[in-house]
Amino acid sequence: MMINQSRRAFFKTVFTAGAAIAASGIATQTGTAEAVNPCRIKGVCLFVPSLGKANEFVAEMNSRAPGEWTAHPLKGEMMDCYLEAGRLYEEAKGTANTFVGVVDPATFGVVHEAITNNGGSFHYIKYEERNRVTFSAQL
Amino acid sequence: MSRFVALPQGVSEATFAKAIQEYRALLGEGRVRTDPASLQSYMKIMIPETEELHKPSAVIYPKTVKEIQAIVTIANKYKTPLWTVSTGKNMGYGSAAPATRGQIVLDLKTMKKILHVDEELGYCLVEPGVTYYDLQQYFKKHKMNLWVDVPAPSAMASPMGNTADRGVGYTPYGEHFLFSCGMEVVLASGDVVRTGTGGVPNTTSWQANKWGYGPYVDGIFTQSNYGILTKLGVWLMKGPPPGGYFPFLMKFPKVEMLADIIKTLMPLRLAQIIPNACIVVNAGWEAAGYFTYDKNGKGTNRETFYKGKDSLPPKVFQQIMDKYGVGAWNFYAAVYGSPEQVALNWKYVSGSFKQKFGDQVKIITQKEAGDDPIFEYRRQLMMGGSTLQEFGLYNWRGGGGSMWFAPVAAARPSECDRQMRLATDVLNKYGFDYVSEFIVGWRDMHHIIDLLYDRTDMEEMKKAYRCFDELLTVFTNNGWGTYRTNTAFMDKVSHSYGPGMRDIHYRLKRALDPNNILAPGKSGIDLNPRNPGYAFNEGLNRGRPLDIP
Repeated sequence: MMINQSRRAFFKTVFTAGAAIAASGIATQTGTAEAVNPCRIKGVCLFVPSLGKANEFVAEMNSRAPGEWTAHPLKGEMMDCYLEAGRLYEEAKGTANTFVGVVDPATFGVVHEAITNNGGSFHYIKYEERNRVTFSAQL
Repeated sequence: MSRFVALPQGVSEATFAKAIQEYRALLGEGRVRTDPASLQSYMKIMIPETEELHKPSAVIYPKTVKEIQAIVTIANKYKTPLWTVSTGKNMGYGSAAPATRGQIVLDLKTMKKILHVDEELGYCLVEPGVTYYDLQQYFKKHKMNLWVDVPAPSAMASPMGNTADRGVGYTPYGEHFLFSCGMEVVLASGDVVRTGTGGVPNTTSWQANKWGYGPYVDGIFTQSNYGILTKLGVWLMKGPPPGGYFPFLMKFPKVEMLADIIKTLMPLRLAQIIPNACIVVNAGWEAAGYFTYDKNGKGTNRETFYKGKDSLPPKVFQQIMDKYGVGAWNFYAAVYGSPEQVALNWKYVSGSFKQKFGDQVKIITQKEAGDDPIFEYRRQLMMGGSTLQEFGLYNWRGGGGSMWFAPVAAARPSECDRQMRLATDVLNKYGFDYVSEFIVGWRDMHHIIDLLYDRTDMEEMKKAYRCFDELLTVFTNNGWGTYRTNTAFMDKVSHSYGPGMRDIHYRLKRALDPNNILAPGKSGIDLNPRNPGYAFNEGLNRGRPLDIP
């Protein structure tokens, strides 16, 4: 696997605190997590390109939370990230049950607004460190 | 344990449950939400207070003016306060979260109609949920050569919300309230008022004439809690002909040059040779925009240059300036008009600065800037375009904390220089950096300082709070008011404008909203002030007894 060890921690968080909750349909307070059967996951994962490539993300997510995953890098200007996140969230509403991501604070700023503007809300938002945010949005 | 996330102050759970039942009978369950997931996005704040203080009890999504009138009736009956947002993008000023815990968020983003665009006279009439981006897309679709002045988060913010908060932008129409014309307002009584000429039956000039007849009242519905704005007229610029927009950047190498920059630009601004709300940006802000990732996925930000927890030493600031090629000050402006006017005015502008600064100023036009992302971000803003590049600031220090400290200065060179030095001293004392821009108004400066800090670090949060409090105190003591502030400091800023203003604000509140149901706490106006006993600020503004004039 090309994704190095330090980045695996993000997947773990995304998996335990985001994907599982999202697939379960259980809305929770920020920062809590509950285990569920992960085999029902049809997931979308957003990430900033520096963390890896889409196929690496898909492989990693599948190994930790088996299901049907697609991964999408948010790149370009902030405006592009905003429009792309909104488009992907809208698309996921009819096709997926899990919508998670691991991004930087600036990208999270626009992703959060893109999702809420499209009627969405969040199960989970967490600053893993000052430069990294993981989230799980409700579909 | 309550089945609600929060309750309005002084309202029992049983009473609140009855109110929610009535709201749901009116709008249905889907448009009256009390579940944690639905409320979470209204608790995403960037100010240094806990979410608990700003937790809403519910969110309501009306679609029509009639529904808002009915909502207000229920709010009066059960004394459930309503915190109105249009799109709720007031980032760094409190976002969409209420000033005080337990208020119901009245989210108007579902009212999204562009009611009219008049290409001939250049104006529009919009509902609260219409964003600047929606307007731009409308102009594009209908092939209209119109520009709307935008604030920095242009794609997602709304003309209604930004104007109601007296926000500013970057084109010649940068003072948003000045370029608004005509409002429709639902009062706390449920009555609907149209301001200006809007009350004249069959009026044709509601969006063309600002004043109407008699006392002009539009101002009392901005930065206020006297009514719920449901329609707003906005004046639009005609786009200049091809070759009629010429944005440029001037970089200056030394912090000490600020006064001379202001001295050179103000005569050009007053003569309308530079007609737009131009910007003088400091190195910190400018560098933050260039956040990039290296091949190992490491972001290049403040931490790349300095690991210390205190403010950036001047030497490091210089390294950052060298790395990104930014000036200590970076002046972005534009000239507009016919190509001939642009060419002539550019001669005046470039000539004035070259004469004053010689080879100390580096001038960059659009052609020379190429695809530079920061020049493009400023170019977009000065032509009313869509950009969200300002969000890059949040990567500079990280941690999701941001507060805009926004004092005004008369646009005098020495005054701007003094403000810059004072702000730098106070920020550095608490370990924060001076990250700022001056937005040049008609005769004033909006000195916009982003107090960036780490919300995940409790100690840093406390310091940020105290730093902001001291900034307010010091600036007030020097005779400088703050044009806008976040929900944690509204009461303190309100006091800084003196007892006379607070008295009239409260008289108006009692007259227009005696039950205190509209956004209590907004701009420090609250007929039932609460003291939340906030842990961070003992001895500061929220910790002291609150007075009511």
